[in-house]
Amino acid sequence: MYSLTDTENLLLSSDEEEDVQLTPAEVIEMMEGAWINEKFAPEILPHRSEIVDCLLAQVTSMEENIQGLDSSDFKKSIHQLEVDRLRFLVSSYLRTRLEKIECYSTHILKEEAERSRRGEESYLSEQESVFARNFSQGLEFYFDKLLNFYPGLPTESWSSRIIEPNLHSFIFVKSKTDVEGVIIDDGTDGDDLADFRAGTPILISYNSVSGLVKKGDVNLI
Amino acid sequence: MNPDEAEFLGEKQFISIIPTFNSGVVHLISGDVGPFRASLPTRVPLWMAINLKQQQKCKIQHPEWMNVDQLERIKEDEKKDKFFTKMPSEQYMIEAKLLLGCASDDVPKADDIRTIIKDIWDIRMAKLRSSVNNVLKSADSYAEFKNLTVMEINSIRPILPHALDQIYRMKINKHQGAQSTTLSTPFRTSTSFSNLS
Repeated sequence: MYSLTDTENLLLSSDEEEDVQLTPAEVIEMMEGAWINEKFAPEILPHRSEIVDCLLAQVTSMEENIQGLDSSDFKKSIHQLEVDRLRFLVSSYLRTRLEKIECYSTHILKEEAERSRRGEESYLSEQESVFARNFSQGLEFYFDKLLNFYPGLPTESWSSRIIEPNLHSFIFVKSKTDVEGVIIDDGTDGDDLADFRAGTPILISYNSVSGLVKKGDVNLI
Repeated sequence: MNPDEAEFLGEKQFISIIPTFNSGVVHLISGDVGPFRASLPTRVPLWMAINLKQQQKCKIQHPEWMNVDQLERIKEDEKKDKFFTKMPSEQYMIEAKLLLGCASDDVPKADDIRTIIKDIWDIRMAKLRSSVNNVLKSADSYAEFKNLTVMEINSIRPILPHALDQIYRMKINKHQGAQSTTLSTPFRTSTSFSNLS
């Protein structure tokens, strides 16, 4: 037998000073929320590597634990199943982010540079920014090489056309609490306001709610 | 999001099972389940219930709403009401599919229930299609879908958000007169990463 009591309650620092006590179940819930949000948001969201790390630590320690179990034990297959489910969750989340980085590498790097200039927190995790830079360099190198084969083409045209996420794309969102006076961006100058009632699915453009999504007040669905 | 992923999320719902074996508490990462005493009901996540059922280690107790009488009532309400009625479970379609798929012997009148749930789904989809039509006609930038479940939202994605994206582009172009706008994401209309293969 083994117990999880040592990892049952873990510390997770979300803000600089504030330490929040979270149970593994809550961490999983946050991971699910982050996964869905990342899936449906057109742009890359602030990274949640603290949740990823925390969950992976749990999964790894569980994997070590179940190695000692007899393979005929029914508990082993249950634990294995849970571990597989959580691994899927984490890898799908990370993969979605990588897809976005590959798609919008130039745009994201530009935004990141802007953010660090303003002293704001970076949206990419450390490994992600290394990947983004490498990817972007590789892409540039490749395009430049390729353009050498076609001497007549203007060389700078591709680098000035940056692929940007469509921040106005429509998404479904569900609010956790009642939110009043969300400004709807409908492409005209008129400011329409909307009130969100908790739990009601709403179809709205992403840029009207992007702030709320990043704050965690609303969930994409 | 594809249906499998919606199912994945629905599977964390708890359901009551009657185990046919004895065992102590299982310490899952998501929380403890058990102890298991043969023929005493206990609550476990749906994914675990299905796994145990497949190993013939338990009987699944169907959710309370999954009986012919109550579903008939829901169906009548759904027919009468112009709007979407509240479903007994946010994941009704997922639960029904999984339970009737692997544990139909534990649900009395499984075939009837399957038909009624399909009817309810069809009524709701018809309503959904006409409300999608309304949203597109009014070309609003905001719409509420009260009581719509995740699976149903999934069924109108990506077509409805895509259509609205295009309408928005036309609006912007009209608004800005002859000025051409730069289209973001030139090769993909929506940025839903869930639909990438």
